Amino acid sequence: MPEFQFIGKPTDRVDALEKVLGTAKYIDDYSLPGMLVAHTLRSNLPHARILRVDVSAALKIPGVVAVITCEDFMDHGRFGYPIADMFMLAYQRVRYVGDGIASIAAENKAALQLGLDAIQVELEELPGVFNPLTALNASTTIVSEQPWDAPEYPRGNLLTHYVVRKNDPQNELARCPVTLEEDYSTMHQEHAYLETEGALAVPWPGSSGVTVYASCQSPFINRGNLVRTLGLGEDNIRVIQPQVGGAFGGKDDLMYQISGQVAKLALLTDRPVKMILSREESLIASYKRDSMQMHVQLGADANGKLRASQIHATVDSGAYASITPFTAWRSSIHAMGPYRYDACHVDTDVVYTNNGYSGAFRGFGNTEVCFAIEQAMDELALMVKRDPIDLRLQNCLRPGDTTPHGQLLGDDVSLAECLEQVRKLSDWKRKHAAYTRQAAEPLTPGEFRRGIGVAAVFHGMSLGAEGVDFAVGTLTVNSDYTLTLTSGLTDYGTGSRTAFTLIAAETLGLNPQRFNMPRPDTDLSHDSGPTVASRATVLGGNATHVTAQRLASLLNKSAADLLGCREDEIVRHGELYIGPKEEPATFELVVEHAHKIGLTLTSRGRWSSPEIHWSMETGQGKPYFAYHFGAQVAEVLVDTGTGKVDVTGFWAVHNTGTVIFPQGACGQLYGGIAQGLGYALMERVDYDNGYIQATNFDEYLIPTALDVPDIVGAFVEKPFAAGPFGAKNLGEPGVVPTAPAILNAITNATGRRIRSLPASLERVLLGKDLRKEGSSTACKLGLN
Amino acid sequence: MERFGYIRAASVSEAVALLNEPGLKSRALAGSTDIILQFRHDPHYCDRLVDISLIPELRRIEQRGGWVHIGAAATFSDVMSNPSVIASAMVLAQACRAVGAVQIRNMGTLGGNVANAAACADSLPALICLDTVANILTPAGGQALPVSQLVTGPNRTVLPPGGLLVSFSYPVPDSGSRSAFLKLGRRNAMAISRLTVAAMGRLDEHGRVAEARLVTGSATPHIERLIVVEQALTGQQPCAELYQHAANLAVDEMIRLSGFRWSSEYKVPALTAMTARVFAQVFEVGEA
Amino acid sequence: MKLQFNLNGCHVEIEAPADTSLLSVLRDYLGLTGTKEGCGVGECGTCSVLLDGRLVNSCLTLAAQASGRQVVTIEGMSLPDGSPNDLQQAFIQYGAVQCGFCTPGMVLAGEALLASNSQPTRLEIREAIAGNLCRCTGYQQIVDAIQSTAQKRQEVNPNA
Repeated sequence: MPEFQFIGKPTDRVDALEKVLGTAKYIDDYSLPGMLVAHTLRSNLPHARILRVDVSAALKIPGVVAVITCEDFMDHGRFGYPIADMFMLAYQRVRYVGDGIASIAAENKAALQLGLDAIQVELEELPGVFNPLTALNASTTIVSEQPWDAPEYPRGNLLTHYVVRKNDPQNELARCPVTLEEDYSTMHQEHAYLETEGALAVPWPGSSGVTVYASCQSPFINRGNLVRTLGLGEDNIRVIQPQVGGAFGGKDDLMYQISGQVAKLALLTDRPVKMILSREESLIASYKRDSMQMHVQLGADANGKLRASQIHATVDSGAYASITPFTAWRSSIHAMGPYRYDACHVDTDVVYTNNGYSGAFRGFGNTEVCFAIEQAMDELALMVKRDPIDLRLQNCLRPGDTTPHGQLLGDDVSLAECLEQVRKLSDWKRKHAAYTRQAAEPLTPGEFRRGIGVAAVFHGMSLGAEGVDFAVGTLTVNSDYTLTLTSGLTDYGTGSRTAFTLIAAETLGLNPQRFNMPRPDTDLSHDSGPTVASRATVLGGNATHVTAQRLASLLNKSAADLLGCREDEIVRHGELYIGPKEEPATFELVVEHAHKIGLTLTSRGRWSSPEIHWSMETGQGKPYFAYHFGAQVAEVLVDTGTGKVDVTGFWAVHNTGTVIFPQGACGQLYGGIAQGLGYALMERVDYDNGYIQATNFDEYLIPTALDVPDIVGAFVEKPFAAGPFGAKNLGEPGVVPTAPAILNAITNATGRRIRSLPASLERVLLGKDLRKEGSSTACKLGLN
Repeated sequence: MERFGYIRAASVSEAVALLNEPGLKSRALAGSTDIILQFRHDPHYCDRLVDISLIPELRRIEQRGGWVHIGAAATFSDVMSNPSVIASAMVLAQACRAVGAVQIRNMGTLGGNVANAAACADSLPALICLDTVANILTPAGGQALPVSQLVTGPNRTVLPPGGLLVSFSYPVPDSGSRSAFLKLGRRNAMAISRLTVAAMGRLDEHGRVAEARLVTGSATPHIERLIVVEQALTGQQPCAELYQHAANLAVDEMIRLSGFRWSSEYKVPALTAMTARVFAQVFEVGEA
Repeated sequence: MKLQFNLNGCHVEIEAPADTSLLSVLRDYLGLTGTKEGCGVGECGTCSVLLDGRLVNSCLTLAAQASGRQVVTIEGMSLPDGSPNDLQQAFIQYGAVQCGFCTPGMVLAGEALLASNSQPTRLEIREAIAGNLCRCTGYQQIVDAIQSTAQKRQEVNPNA
């Protein structure tokens, strides 16, 4: 591997200092003179027609300054991508508990509360759709209006449908000596970023424009929505992303609504307006990871060689499409796992219901299907009496293989290495044999048993064949010899700003300390699409690399002129430029000389992903330009008396290519695993008749420091040719295989298979869920 | 607009006087971890909070004349680290350690836990297992009431209006007694108890059970010693079968006291396992 | 009501309603925004401060309860010249910071632990920060940072 100056060396995160000092400013830390506070009145019914919204009484309350509804926006504030089915505030109908109806701005919280109470809303309750499996029945209520820009979706509550097609699996299955057919289901998951959603809008003089500070992931999409719904030009709206207290995919659509609401209120009142959601409001109103019901059929030879897979999945998108069409497409592509098949069909139905709504969440559709296929692989291993890692090694995709989608893979494929390494690190052979032996013995009452489980993952890079995939960066040398770097892809805690800085520093041969990256700002950086789906490192990193190369070439020209030599004669020593006469020129001198000879030291670079394509009709193509691979092993201690599961050991090996920012890479991996652990064991979003039951962190449980074990992580750093300095993405894949690894370990310990999430005390002990029927008022507290 | 007022009491007598000031609905404030949340549900919960948390007498923990006395405003952190408590009643130290996490244990108090009387309160089974008596002061004078009688059901007590929980006293268990507390939650910290068991026991010179006590939490509406279980153990040779037998009886008691509920299908086997386990810890030397 | 307390070594006096939480007084009245609000019900620990040296949730503490007492927030953790103390430095070095929203509370939880236990085990560290939720890091690098700080302090002052 080439030796790098900065890449792969321990580095301080660029914004860590202000964060440890407590001086980093998040949205609620901003306060401006004359600032109004705002709140949104939300629906307490899952599905209803809005008969009347009368804000006149609220406007008479002293201290209430403005109230808005969907009527205050262009086209009722309609927005959404890829399907524009959402509104800045509900139009005609509310479709989930928490749907915004009207927003108020007031002088203080007391007036705000009085104003909220004074808004008169008349709702006519409509039947709700709560079971995604019956959402397509002909007699069911229609949740969404016929999507206005997508007339090709024919059936009422069907949002979209995806297929993968390779040969005829039913034909193969009929001839397979070993077949498996099982149902698996996952539950919605809350992102549980510790900072709730919030935004602050500051109007320009005379309300000619507005600046919105928003705790969101993608400032450019935010601005685009504001342009369309406020009727202002692009130049009249500026969106700035302050420090974001976690997002994990969750700060898009709801944040765009909040941004639209405060922006409109600020323009109407000509005063700054801030809205911060309470945790209860956040849990009720925000979108979740979708839930999925999966029917899996696998066929194999007697020795375990996979031959066929047929998978049908139903995705609950809830009340709105959000980005679920993308996540569900990713689900379809990844549903069969990183394995070779002679025949494979995947069918995915995405349906509308009145269960909140679903959207982007780290893993982006792959987390759900990985839960199913990786458990199915273990079930198959038991049937053919093979070690689960051996079975995966026998069938896993390798360099030069063709995927079931018809994609020829390159030499970056490293799943086998990941599996071999994780087997060694976790002492798999010894433990798996011992625990398997023990599981065969009769249980003494209340015994604690250990188990070990594995799961593999492949994860397509970036958005895939559905989205336009590019990123743009800029670099400027400032008069004080610092450099300003921008990227259209943002950093909401992921560390991408640090990674971009290291890439620029490495490319230019300049110390990382010289660089600064301003907060993402639509006035200062360039649109690069949404910051989701493991896009930042590869797309943003490559764009930064291209940008830095362009600047490096300008600096080289200047140095050559200064030192009186050819450009190719210059060698670098640290930051110095050295010509044939071996007189070193400092960076400062080279910059000054550049100015003298008239070079402008700024650059802009764009990187587009290699060509990819997908046919929705044939279910074949090249869905992603490359994949990340990984394997994880979990060790558990199961209290067979109570069903309590402790994860006592965890090993993860991921094919990241070159690691750019080591502490950041480890942190992304550990953090993903912790989220997967919560998904596996404790996190539950129960929509009872559309009402979410957990409305704060006393009921929505995420892992504490005592629930997560010390994790052993390792990276397969085989350089990836198309990645910046050989890097691959790694933000998402960490979370993907964690839950199935843990559930496979539980089965190894107890002999009992749990095919639904989460593996609660009750499921582990009794094999079934047990829950008090929720009340429809349980979640109302948080709304007013 | 203030939802409620605040006043800090300097002494126990002042606190009682303030709590009984006519014309004002006053409530004692100790750790504040429950009472602040109370106002989110009921803004008119009371007019004024009387802060008793800084009265030195109410923070005191001492062993005197065969009893351990714990001030009602002693925090969970105070109790779990107190040498007298650790030496005499591991069950209470462990119960306090099982509460929430550091922040809650640093503020939350034994008195608050009892007065709030949640069905899942971690300290209640331990206090009742120890036959703890609550010392209450009212303007009419002092009274002592066993905690098991003070707490009559979920969030229900017979604490007289205007009465102040001053302290808790439990008799130092006979020498040779051992006790233990087990908690089952959905995660390993900051968890609401799904089930708890508090047990105490002592063996005679022949190695037979001289005394056994068992109290369960989050299992029955009224938290009490399960005498049927205790009697079945007394005089017996401790062994796994005996613990299992005790566990079965404990489960019968749970069903008798609370009926068969939606959760019973789970709680029956779970309580069985926890009861057998807690007695094994109490009676098997070298394991607890 | 009138409140006075010692905040990060300085005497402060303010007028606030009796039902104001300590968190609100710190953020809204005194402008110290390093202390965060994550849940408002004492479940997440982002609002952690030290009250008379003990770690508490400032959202569940009335400002009135702090009157006459010592309060330390993240703003009081850094060295007199404003640079990070050794624990804060270790958070940076070990990558214990991602989104940073839990970080102030985590630093205070770490300090509270080290003040009472100079050589904590990893399990004791995990117990000490179990009331502080972090959704980004999986906690591991936070435990590393606290453990390494304990070791370094022990080397500097073995009798602590």
